[in-house]
Amino acid sequence: MGHCRHASVACGLGQFEVSPNPINDRFERVAQSIAERVARLVIDSIDLNAIMERVDVDHLVSRVNADAIVDRVDVEKIVERVDVEKILERVDVNALVERVDVRRIVDQLDIESLVAQTELGSIIARSTSGVAAEVLDVIRAQGVGLDDFFARWTNRILRRGPDSLPLGPRTLVPTAPLASATPLDGSTDGSGQ
Amino acid sequence: MIVAAPSPALYEGRQGHYAGAVSRLAAFAADVGASWGLYTLGLGAVSLTVALATGRTFSVNRNQIPTLIVLVVWEFMYFAYQWALNGKTIGMAAMGIQVVKADGTPLTARQAVVRTLVFPLSIAAVGLGFLGILVQRERRALHDLVAGTAVIYSWDARAARLRWLARQGPETAIHR
Repeated sequence: MGHCRHASVACGLGQFEVSPNPINDRFERVAQSIAERVARLVIDSIDLNAIMERVDVDHLVSRVNADAIVDRVDVEKIVERVDVEKILERVDVNALVERVDVRRIVDQLDIESLVAQTELGSIIARSTSGVAAEVLDVIRAQGVGLDDFFARWTNRILRRGPDSLPLGPRTLVPTAPLASATPLDGSTDGSGQ
Repeated sequence: MIVAAPSPALYEGRQGHYAGAVSRLAAFAADVGASWGLYTLGLGAVSLTVALATGRTFSVNRNQIPTLIVLVVWEFMYFAYQWALNGKTIGMAAMGIQVVKADGTPLTARQAVVRTLVFPLSIAAVGLGFLGILVQRERRALHDLVAGTAVIYSWDARAARLRWLARQGPETAIHR
C-alpha cells in the first residue's frame, strides 16, 4: 500500500502502520485512537441503502465484462456439484406437461415417413384388416375424387365460386374454404386436363 | 394384391365435409343390392319354412300383393332403422359417408323416419329430387331438405393413407 506511507489512518480500520516520521510516540497513539473513533463514527453514520439507491446499477452492470467473468467460471465443476435428482424432485412434471402444446409437436412430425420407415408401420399393417380394407379405401378415394370432379363442373356451369360454398356443417367444419382442398386427381382444374 | 395408393391430396382428410353425388349414388346402389339380397334370402327362408310346415310351395307370383307390402315394409325398416341407429346404412358405411342433422349433430329417430318416407319422392319424377346433391349449396337432396339432414364424409382418409403406407413397408416407401 504505497499511498499509506504518509497518512496511515486512511489505510483502514484494522491495522494501522506506524509512520516512519520521528514524531513523539504518545502523540502518535493519540492520533491513532482518534482516527479509529472518527472512522467508526463516519462508517456508522453512512446510510448504505441511501447510497445504493443513488447507484445506477444498470450502468454499473453495463461496464462489467460478463464474457471475461464467464470465461473464468469452470462450468463443468459447477454442473458436477449440481444435484439434478434433487432439482427434478422439485419439478411439477404434470404442470410442465400441461403447458406443452402437443398438437404443435405432432404437426411438426413427419408421420408418413415415421409410419413408412419404422417398425410402427408393420404394427399398423398387422392391426388392420388387410386387403378388404385396402380395397374399400381405394373405392372410397375414387368416390371422393369423382365427387370433386362433378362438384367442380357443376360450379362452373352454375358460375359460382367454390369459396362461397360451405365445406360441411358448421359444427364439423368451422372454417376453410372449398378452394383450399386439392383436387384428388392432382389436376389444377375440374377438366382433369 | 397390389392396390393403387390413395392420392396424397387425401392427406387433408374430408371428414365432416358434405358428401358428393357419386359416393352417395354408390352407397345407394350398394344398399339396394344389400336390401334386395337380404329380402330374397328372407323370402327363400319363408318359402322353405312354409313348405316344410304345410307341405305346400310358396309362390311370389301367386302372392304379389302381400310380397310387395312386405318388400315396402322391409325397405322402410332397412333404411329407417339403420339411419336412426347410427346415421349410416350398410352401403353408406362401405362408402364412408353418414347422415347427420343439418347442423352436423346426430340425427334423431324422427328425422330418420321422415327421411325414409320422403326418400321415394326424390326418386319419383325421374330422380329430380336428387338434383339438389349437385346444385344445392350444402349438397342436400329433397329428402334431406324435408327431414333437415345432410350427408357427410365420415371416412378418415388420412388414416387410410397411413394404412396404405404401412402396408408398403420401408423399401417401397423410400423410393416413393
